[in-house]
Amino acid sequence: MILREFLSRVPADRLAVNDCTVGDLLSAAGKIRQRGFKGARVAIQGQDVARAAALLAALDGNADAILLLPAALNASVAADLAGKAECDAFLTDVNPELHDDDASQSSPDLLGREAMSSHRQNVQTGTTKWILATSGTTGAPKLVAHSLRSLTRTTKIDVDRAADVRWGLLYDHARYAGLQVLLQGLVSGGGITAPANTSDLKQTIRTFAERRCTHVSGTPTVWRKILMLPESELLPLRQVTLGGEIADDVILSALRNRYPQARISHVFASTEAGVGFSVSDGRAGFPIAYLENPPANIRLRVRDDRLFVHNGDVNPSYLSSEDRFADADGFVDTGDVVEIRGDRVIFLGRANGVINVGGNKVHPERVERVLLEHNQVQFARVYAKSNPIVGALVAADVKAAAHVADEAAFKDSVRAFCAGRLEPYETPAFVRVVSELKLSAAGKLERI
Amino acid sequence: MVREKILVTLEDVYRRSTQKDLPHLTDESVLLETGLDSLGFAILVTRLEEELGYDPFTQSDSAVYPKTFREFVQLYEQFSN
Repeated sequence: MILREFLSRVPADRLAVNDCTVGDLLSAAGKIRQRGFKGARVAIQGQDVARAAALLAALDGNADAILLLPAALNASVAADLAGKAECDAFLTDVNPELHDDDASQSSPDLLGREAMSSHRQNVQTGTTKWILATSGTTGAPKLVAHSLRSLTRTTKIDVDRAADVRWGLLYDHARYAGLQVLLQGLVSGGGITAPANTSDLKQTIRTFAERRCTHVSGTPTVWRKILMLPESELLPLRQVTLGGEIADDVILSALRNRYPQARISHVFASTEAGVGFSVSDGRAGFPIAYLENPPANIRLRVRDDRLFVHNGDVNPSYLSSEDRFADADGFVDTGDVVEIRGDRVIFLGRANGVINVGGNKVHPERVERVLLEHNQVQFARVYAKSNPIVGALVAADVKAAAHVADEAAFKDSVRAFCAGRLEPYETPAFVRVVSELKLSAAGKLERI
Repeated sequence: MVREKILVTLEDVYRRSTQKDLPHLTDESVLLETGLDSLGFAILVTRLEEELGYDPFTQSDSAVYPKTFREFVQLYEQFSN
């Protein structure tokens, strides 16, 4: 099924995105279709979620490929990605200079001009590729091709029951997590509240409360902040979803206490792996039984303390690249370090050692380099210390180059030195002075 | 006693994080509106763990996130034996 067919099963007067009804979306989509795009490859970079939804409904099953670009991407990166994905049209409301329309148009919208693709073939129903950019935390963003089918594989569809469901969208809809929420809402007939600007969390939560949002998905970092806001009491939540970071027992338990009526699920998913799986038993990690009997048609494997996933619906390679990210058996390395504890598989962190401090990624090597620039520091080792407010804080063990008479003064000097050279979230919140640092067999500082 | 310790530690963390003095707090002051961000409160919680010897967030199944200064103090008082 294509997105338009899913929408057609929902009553036309039901609210879809913000104040826009399903009927409004379908009629906007019909107008867009009249303008072409058959067989075209179309890049979309939009801030307005209702317009983006209408475009997606128009293009799915009509265009050859849709490239969804996050609104925050700058113009040159966006243009570069559109080139890599061989797009014929670029529709945007955030980067007017890229807008594929008459330059004289004063208020660019997401409609663009007709695609100029007479050489393109008609696409078969349901074969439109949905291309997403990875978050690009390590180097430039890469493109991964999905399909509506793979993106909605775990979506539960019950149009009648969705009548009183309203999702609050905290993410960019062009990111994997945000698109999942948008499609969940559109395909199942639930409403979506998508504030134009979600940077003011307090205001966003107030809007969600006013619009009676029942379902919200966010990272553990954002949930910790939400729970510290008095407005969190006003949310009539029935579904709380956590994703994107490790959900620990503290946040799961605190959410259960604040929203006793809600089902609380933490989702494991990555752009490369496609849809992952969710766990709703209120405990961190996932049941060890999933390694034998995995949920949702995926397969899971733990090898060398790392989690590997297999998802047959995602093309296991990056677009315009020879790099395959799946191994010969089709398993993708998630880069997550896991440990089996009793009947659970628990997430410990990233294999590359990156520390997530309240949603900010910290590379320990960078902090260690700065510490070593301090003239009294001989060795330094940086690691994560778990924290209930931001998930993790940066901690450092340092060995002094010479005898330290005043340890407190030395620590203050090390902290001040780092504070002047690193971001606040990168600066070690703990400094421990040690007499020696453990070296691995290879003579390298051991990272744990 | 616990309240005093929290206030003194908060003043120090606040000054180090914001280079400003802690504004006057009432019981109803919303933590994230005091001018200290969540990173600042994360540091406060770990400093208090060193000073008081416990982290009330991880003490039981009844984990809560405090919204106001009163709730923050109550959380610590609850586990101070």
